[in-house]
Amino acid sequence: MDAKWRKRVAITMVLVFGSLLVYFGTDGLTAFTVETARLNELIEEQPTFPDVTLEDSEERVYSFSEFDDKYVLITFIYTSCTTVCLDLEMNMAQVYNKVPEEFIGEDISFLSISFDPTVDDPETLDKYKGYFDSDGETWRMARIPDQQELDNLLDEFGVIVIPDGYGDYAHNAAFYLVDSNGKLVNVMDYQDTDGAADEITRILESNRGNQS
Amino acid sequence: MKQFVYGLVLFIFLILPPVSNLMESIMIIHMHMQMPMLVVAGFLMAKLFQKKFPHFFEKWNKDGTPGILLFGIIWLYWMIPRTMDEALVMHGMEIFKFISLTFLAGVPLRDSWKKLGERGKNIVFYSFMIVSFGMGWLYIKSPVQLCNNYLLVEQITLGWGFLAMAVCMAIFLVYIAVTDQSEYD
Repeated sequence: MDAKWRKRVAITMVLVFGSLLVYFGTDGLTAFTVETARLNELIEEQPTFPDVTLEDSEERVYSFSEFDDKYVLITFIYTSCTTVCLDLEMNMAQVYNKVPEEFIGEDISFLSISFDPTVDDPETLDKYKGYFDSDGETWRMARIPDQQELDNLLDEFGVIVIPDGYGDYAHNAAFYLVDSNGKLVNVMDYQDTDGAADEITRILESNRGNQS
Repeated sequence: MKQFVYGLVLFIFLILPPVSNLMESIMIIHMHMQMPMLVVAGFLMAKLFQKKFPHFFEKWNKDGTPGILLFGIIWLYWMIPRTMDEALVMHGMEIFKFISLTFLAGVPLRDSWKKLGERGKNIVFYSFMIVSFGMGWLYIKSPVQLCNNYLLVEQITLGWGFLAMAVCMAIFLVYIAVTDQSEYD
């Protein structure tokens, strides 16, 4: 083998190795962050909403089966948050307004779940819901008082919450759409409210079509 | 031989769980200290490999191109936010990080750098600088948290670290351009 040929072989092997490494490391160039990989996996797996006890801003206590025959759009928040949660809830309000009114409360409920149950008691949640014109009925805000149940839910839905030690949390944000059987069917970009509202409307319409 | 021992000691020190856990707990130290030091460990150990297998390097890395490409690929691979995150939670990935940065980046870097011509060296240097600017911009400007295991503020710190590095490289280029290098040869 002459030197030139060997060089070509060596370069090709390095490039093939590198391409395979990057290709498989990013699930075929689809997921460059763990977050994207996680979302792709979630949508594929469709985990079921685990059995938890919620306590909402009206101090009502119920399990998730309260929403049994409805779709539920969920966000995870904490009320002392000054950054992402505000955007997230503002956008949730936009989606709430964009989805045709006939579906609201009939086919779909909105639910904001706090992952900071010690601070976010019903009173705090009640105040917080006022900022976003949530009616507390078709859009509820609730906490999960039992830490173990909360952790279990966060884990199932891949919500990562890192306390920063100063009472604040770093966390990932998205719209989680759960169907009437409690299955997670979609995780949507919270910054694209039009896209989320269209997608939800489409799902709800086809759902009605199926039933009639 | 001495260099190999230094490199090996550094390598073992870096992969000791208390040391690696501590370094990985801070994003910028993870990427800008642990990772380069692993490359340095490989760089030091390379001497022995070169002595033991002179034919291998001579045959397959004659002008340094394949080696520097391998180095570049491994380095770029560990710049992907996902790989850094996974190295924290998946044991296999962490081991791969130690091995790849040391033996697939550090060793070929040493063997290749001297063999590269002036032009090759320049290309590598400029690519490094451009990627550093790009990564700095990405980490500072990214509105979302790229790594799930680090806070956003750490990500921004890392971005400034990249920018600082890129600026230093740019200053070095200016320095090279305005001074007469032949005086030092």
